[in-house]
Amino acid sequence: MDNNKPLSPHIQIYSWNISSLISISHRITGVINIVVLTIICFWIASFLFGNSIYVIVQNILNSFFGKFLVIGITWSFSFQILSEIRHLFWDLGYGFELKTSNISGAIVIFGSFIMTVLIYILGRQLI
Amino acid sequence: MVQINLPKNSKVQKGEYYKDKTGSKNIRKVNIYRWDPSSGKNPRIDTYEVDMDNCPSKVLDLLNKIKNEIDPSIAYRRSCAHGVCGSCAMNMDGKNGLACTKPHSEIKGDINIYPLPHLKVEKDLIGDLSTLYKQYHSVEPWLKNSKKDDGKENLQSIADRAKLDGLYECIMCACCSTSCPSYWWNGDKYLGPAVLLQAYRWIIDSRDEERKERLEKVADELKLYRCHTIMNCTNACPKGLNPAKAIASIKKMLATT
Repeated sequence: MDNNKPLSPHIQIYSWNISSLISISHRITGVINIVVLTIICFWIASFLFGNSIYVIVQNILNSFFGKFLVIGITWSFSFQILSEIRHLFWDLGYGFELKTSNISGAIVIFGSFIMTVLIYILGRQLI
Repeated sequence: MVQINLPKNSKVQKGEYYKDKTGSKNIRKVNIYRWDPSSGKNPRIDTYEVDMDNCPSKVLDLLNKIKNEIDPSIAYRRSCAHGVCGSCAMNMDGKNGLACTKPHSEIKGDINIYPLPHLKVEKDLIGDLSTLYKQYHSVEPWLKNSKKDDGKENLQSIADRAKLDGLYECIMCACCSTSCPSYWWNGDKYLGPAVLLQAYRWIIDSRDEERKERLEKVADELKLYRCHTIMNCTNACPKGLNPAKAIASIKKMLATT
């Protein structure tokens, strides 16, 4: 009889708010960042085998798709860093009031885009 | 285990449509989750057209009106109708809350009413909260004090008493726990915001002598640390309390003592 009882709808019906949206994005960007960091390590290790792989990767990264990828990854890192700082404040016990958490959430979202642009511009100038 | 889709027997189907019979011009559509344990069928969404000219302001009034005037078979819990008992907790317009304190004018468009999320449904809008009550029992929500009864009050300083503000007001309506994705996926092991707020209420009470034991008991990868500060609990609480902060306070106490 108990198994017969249906489970009430959950994620299908529950409305999103800033904090839940950032929480799930924090997880997703975290996974992306780990994968990307691993790939970067392999990329750097590949330099040991001469410049052939370096040239191939260079060509990919300079294509439109490559640039899209780089900007996307930059955003993913920016978002993760800002969201992690927010978590650090939470761990210290600050910023739990609804208003504060909504404001800090908005800062994380907008800040991540601003940071992406800044890092990209700065990076272009360094190269 | 994260399960996004509902099990086969829980898939929601389209239900009946109750057309307005009063001829009113001020009509709103109310979609309500229905499940009859004796039918052997899947849950369905029934739609009711309700005459809003003769309906008081809260969602509970709306439900009462439907039950009294349109469809007496609909089942839901309610008692005080003043946001004190926590019986009428349900999901309205995608958010958990108390039907008796939620004005239907705050909801735009059709009014969607579901039971509290991720519970076994007993009937219609009634969810099975027995797991939550078992977990509540597990934190031993009573004062543990070795002081002998000498007929005098157990005194507490004003500052110590103030620490209980924002905790003792909790009415255990389960709006917070059932809004928490972590509690959806790990509800059998993770205690959830409501129970952890109650745990903290006894941990922080200056008159309680078992703070250390209570902290040790709750310090568990699954019981406590499944909280990832999603903050759905604080967003949902109809009493304006802050379970997320209470959980963080427990974590902080564990990290600093």
